[in-house]
Amino acid sequence: MDRLPAEVPDSAAPFFDPAELALTREFLNAGYVLRPAADRAALDRIRDYLAASAARHLDLPAPTDAGAFLNNIHQQVDGARLNDLRLAVFHDINAQDWLRPAYFATARDSVQTLIGNELAMQKRINLSVQMPDDDKSVLPVHADVWSGDSAFEAVLWVPFVDVFASKSMFIASPAKNAEIVTRFKDFNGRSAEDLYREVEASLTFLEIPYGHVLVFNQNLMHGNRVNREAETRWSMNCRFKSVLSPYADKKLGEFFEPITLRAMTRIGMDFALPDDFTE
Amino acid sequence: MVTDKGYIGYNGARHLATGRAPQHIQNLVIRDYCRRHDLPFKLSASEYAMPHCYMMLEKLVEEIGQHDGIVMYSMFMLPARATRRRALYRRILGAGASLHAAVEDLALATDTDLTRWEDILRVQALVANTTPVFEE
Repeated sequence: MDRLPAEVPDSAAPFFDPAELALTREFLNAGYVLRPAADRAALDRIRDYLAASAARHLDLPAPTDAGAFLNNIHQQVDGARLNDLRLAVFHDINAQDWLRPAYFATARDSVQTLIGNELAMQKRINLSVQMPDDDKSVLPVHADVWSGDSAFEAVLWVPFVDVFASKSMFIASPAKNAEIVTRFKDFNGRSAEDLYREVEASLTFLEIPYGHVLVFNQNLMHGNRVNREAETRWSMNCRFKSVLSPYADKKLGEFFEPITLRAMTRIGMDFALPDDFTE
Repeated sequence: MVTDKGYIGYNGARHLATGRAPQHIQNLVIRDYCRRHDLPFKLSASEYAMPHCYMMLEKLVEEIGQHDGIVMYSMFMLPARATRRRALYRRILGAGASLHAAVEDLALATDTDLTRWEDILRVQALVANTTPVFEE
């Protein structure tokens, strides 16, 4: 590695409360944290809306068991119509004013501890639907920062069904990621699949029961494979960053929006020195 | 509100905080925004290229009674000075019209929209004045 891994210096540790420090160190060491949803009602509301929206699109009665309906959506729709369904539900749920506050509420404390309490949030929350054996929904190994995201962003990734093994996403450890980055030029002329094969043995497929949320460092390689389990994965993902940290290709306005500007920032933005003096 | 007056587009040649797009691409984005939001689109007006010049925008706002609203390519085409922007908002909203930003997919039709709109512009101005520190 050509640089030290990020860590909390001992001199800074006393400024964190113990729970914040533990969460921060866990995130820096593993590249992610998994926690129970901070607002379970908000999580359930999103899941129930996803299921109801999908049922409406498919002209089916409103499901009585949202989780089972989402898990088994492949019994209602084939691969050819999956993307139409995904887009319809994506547009429908993103048109709901309550969605982004509810999504944020599922991990408010973790996001604020790891990123900052003055945040920019992605304007539209992405939706992934991975049906069993569907090879059209594969997201090859990548790091968001390699394709236009700022290194200051983290992802809040929320599954609406239990996810595990190939029904889930994978992520590389910070150590493996750093090792690959230092010799990235070795992959010149090779493919993302070559890269996957190189790191495959070291990847972690995250097991996340419904009711838990994941915050991960998108600077680390991650992605998914063909879902070889018997159930469909439904998940959403959304990027957060400290509002005044540097932006890359994902800009304020078109991609990000400030959500928690604090009082002194508002005061500072409005401040102007009196300028009526003349020489 | 949509009447039979329609919406006028507004594009330009200057570099923006979000980068530069050719004017024909700007028009595609404006037309797509109007189509998605069911806004009847009229022709676009192009701002003069001189820095800090808003003569074409001023003309559109002077004639706002002839339009249902203005659809800008990007909200970052607005004047950098907040007082000048607010004066434009007042004239547009006061005429019962609306202002739209196609790239950002945002509309400014009420006073409530104004805070959301201005938060983005003012934070961008702050960020633009912050020098990122990266290792070479």
